[in-house]
Amino acid sequence: MTTPRTVELVVNGEHRAGDAEPRMLLSDFLREQLGLTGTHVGCEHGVCGACTVLVNGEAARSCLMLAVQAAGTEVRTIEGLGGVDDMHPLQEAFWEKHGLQCGFCTPGMLMTAVELLESTPNPSLDDIREAISSNLCRCTGYQTIVEAVQAAAERMQGEAQ
Amino acid sequence: MYVGQAIRRREDERFLRGRGRFVEDITLDQPIAHAAFVRSPHAHAAVTHVDTAQAAAMPGVLAVLTGADWTAAGHGEAEGVWPVKDMSGADSRTAYRPLICVDGVVRCVGEIVAMVVAEDRHQALDAAEAIEVAYEEKPANTITAGALDPDIPLVHPAFGTNEVMVTEHGLKEETEAALANAHHVTEVVVPTNRVTAASMEPRAYLGHYDRVNDRYTVWTTNQAPHIVRRYFTKSLHIPEHKLRVIAPDVGGGFGMKLYHYPEEGLVLWGAIVCDRPVRWVGTRSECLLGDTHARDHHTVGRMGFDENGKILGVKFETLAAFGAYESQWQASITNAYHFTMLSLAYDIPAIHTQVRAVYTNATPVDAYRGAGRPEAVYQVERMIENGAQEMGIDPLELRARNLIPPEKFPYQTALGITYDSGDPPVLMGKIKALADYDALRAEQARLRAEGQWMGIGISAFFDMAGAGPVKMMNDLGAKVGCYDVASVRVHPDGRITVFAGSHSHGQGHETTWSQIAADRLGCDIDHIDLVEGDTDRVPMGIGTWGSRSLSTAGMAVYTAADRVVAKAKRMAAHMMECAPEDLDLADGEFTVKGTDRKLSFAAVANASYHSGDRPSDLEIGLEETSFFDPADCTYPSAIHLCVVLVDPETCAVTLRNYWAVDDVGTVINPMVLHGQVHGGLVQGIGQALMEECAYDAESGQYLSGTFMDYAIPHAEDVPSFGLDAHFTRALGNPLGAKGAGESGTIGAPACICNGVIDALWHLGVRQITQPMTPKKIWRAIEDAKRTQH
Ligand code: FES
Ligand code: FES
Repeated sequence: MTTPRTVELVVNGEHRAGDAEPRMLLSDFLREQLGLTGTHVGCEHGVCGACTVLVNGEAARSCLMLAVQAAGTEVRTIEGLGGVDDMHPLQEAFWEKHGLQCGFCTPGMLMTAVELLESTPNPSLDDIREAISSNLCRCTGYQTIVEAVQAAAERMQGEAQ
Repeated sequence: MYVGQAIRRREDERFLRGRGRFVEDITLDQPIAHAAFVRSPHAHAAVTHVDTAQAAAMPGVLAVLTGADWTAAGHGEAEGVWPVKDMSGADSRTAYRPLICVDGVVRCVGEIVAMVVAEDRHQALDAAEAIEVAYEEKPANTITAGALDPDIPLVHPAFGTNEVMVTEHGLKEETEAALANAHHVTEVVVPTNRVTAASMEPRAYLGHYDRVNDRYTVWTTNQAPHIVRRYFTKSLHIPEHKLRVIAPDVGGGFGMKLYHYPEEGLVLWGAIVCDRPVRWVGTRSECLLGDTHARDHHTVGRMGFDENGKILGVKFETLAAFGAYESQWQASITNAYHFTMLSLAYDIPAIHTQVRAVYTNATPVDAYRGAGRPEAVYQVERMIENGAQEMGIDPLELRARNLIPPEKFPYQTALGITYDSGDPPVLMGKIKALADYDALRAEQARLRAEGQWMGIGISAFFDMAGAGPVKMMNDLGAKVGCYDVASVRVHPDGRITVFAGSHSHGQGHETTWSQIAADRLGCDIDHIDLVEGDTDRVPMGIGTWGSRSLSTAGMAVYTAADRVVAKAKRMAAHMMECAPEDLDLADGEFTVKGTDRKLSFAAVANASYHSGDRPSDLEIGLEETSFFDPADCTYPSAIHLCVVLVDPETCAVTLRNYWAVDDVGTVINPMVLHGQVHGGLVQGIGQALMEECAYDAESGQYLSGTFMDYAIPHAEDVPSFGLDAHFTRALGNPLGAKGAGESGTIGAPACICNGVIDALWHLGVRQITQPMTPKKIWRAIEDAKRTQH
């Protein structure tokens, strides 16, 4: 029952494989089997959003998903968000607007914001507050995160035109 | 000048790219084993039998350890750093939190009874489940208010009481007289709710023992790594020079990560026993239960006013929860940080306070952002609000009449503490303008006529931050010296490494300490790196807590940098054949005043290490260390003002506006300052409206063990904040900085509660305990209706 099986999937554009017991969470699989420790676990019961990754383009809580369920999917994590020499506009905006303090919630916040801006390129401030309310941050008070997402949206809109 | 600039943080890129290195992320060249714990499911019970045989035989299990093993190994307990005397002069009735149950009695839910170390986490958890523990339940009490009542079960029967100690401060007779002669006396019972820091990163520890070299290493989610070594001298009896403590990236601390938690000592013990590195990462439930809790005061207050609303005196009687054991810093709250600050921003001639610390069968209480000051502000501000309402004086106006006027600074409070600088009337003027207060009152009247419940809340306070000085904190009970340390090492190429005894877990020291150092050293900020959080690399440190790092470690950076410059100037003067006083240092170059003769700082650094041509009495090298003991604590001040709307249908509170005007002295980086204020405000909002560590009164079971049950604010629950500032210089340090880490959490609970009471005063509501949930608000309105009929 607990025999590990090999899970194959695409992570940040690369084909990856690793062993997972059936009970292994996707968050643990990413962190422990694939060494992608940017995905954080803040509650392991689906409330804090720190573990948010994109699975086939949709935000998912990797602590609520088994690794075996992710077999064959395309997963995006924080490590794939920026390039070697540049960063995603959201990363830049979080940096400019002080959208992070301890940095623990940041990967999950960023991946949540990526999903928002990919589906709603021009969100209102209320849209942003609502979208990031899936994630907890204990440091920032959220205001600078909201401002960062707005700034990134404006920049991405500008670039798209 | 870098100081004062909102430059973006130098530490951010690694977090933005997911390359932070937290304890859970550390890898070693040996495989790491995992620990799991068996915890008491009872609030109070005798442990009659522990059977580990089955667990020990399970796959992957390396060791199963109990309290009996701990005792047999001769290990000890974590000693407090702030032991205090009872006011009678006797030692307080101290029972420190054991790392593992050693005396056959568990005194709160979650107390550790056994530990399993196994190859992987799942094996450890499976084996922990297979350990059989037999308990005999005893009666328990988790409620602070009744802890000293006659029939309440004793947490430590050997003491014969649940009282840890009793302390009194202030002017007793004067206060009684003031209350007796007052035109009006307000009395309110004001309990502060038990909350917890709930940093997003759970606590985690990794222990390693290198048998060959007899060296120990602990990676820990801790805010004060050098103090961790001190704890280990008593728990595992490891000499300080044998133990390396590394606090890498830490995901928020808020005071809660300042202590020697049981799991921290136990993983290193496991590593020694198993000869393998051992890690434990807390689950959220373990953390909500086992992280120190905070606040939990039960207070009765009386405040007397003259006919103009001038406060004549105030008296408090408080029961302060310690939980089942005394945590290492807990007594600093009752004996240093709470009573001292009860005058807030007001000129109150007579104050008297009595605090009785009590044991209950609940998680130990210790410092959490604000530590004693949120309680003090809540207690005093709730009196002022009700007093103003009862006397029919506008609440802001009544406060304004009582603020400490600028000409009274330095101002000594009735509790003997002296605020060095501040100007509360200016803060009040600013917040009144920022919020457009008169328009808000008009709006409130209009809405009330329409049946809408709008309230305006205010709080005005001082904070005691920046601990020490060493002597002052010793006098208040500290057994750790409250200074801090920095070394500035100039390398031969002129680039600089700063080593500091503080620890950044969100505060941004890599940026702000570099701003300070770059200004003093006249260099590019990118020529500086910062090292913190490693006892083998940083000479000494007292760590980051109590809004102290800027005015202690930051000043040590400042002072050490100045010493480096003084030494470098001597070398440069020798090389340039002039006097050191003739030299200016800026932009990486020494210049002879009034000439164009220049020499680069890098050339001087190189010569400092490699040239034999030097003043005969000038030592080789360019590195200086400062142990900075501040001349005084710092006293930041602030006034908060908020608008709440209470929904008459659902009794839900909407926090519509929040303004804060802060005086934090000199600002190093305004962006970082605003971040600190915002984050603190949201934690204070959580305390006011939704957070509570709740216990079932009957069974003592803990009810807040997940983020579904312990509610912390989401983005949608809070508004955008309106901030303003007014700066007066701190007098105790050369930069004039006061610190800003706690203003938000200190002021927000009182401010919001006052707002809700203001919204409901006309309905007869006088007090609602925090968190002010819709259910409690509805109940308060119903109760008020009943008493009015
Ligand atoms: S760790 Fe997945 S939601 Fe908290
Ligand atoms: S930055 Fe610390 S939890 Fe969000």
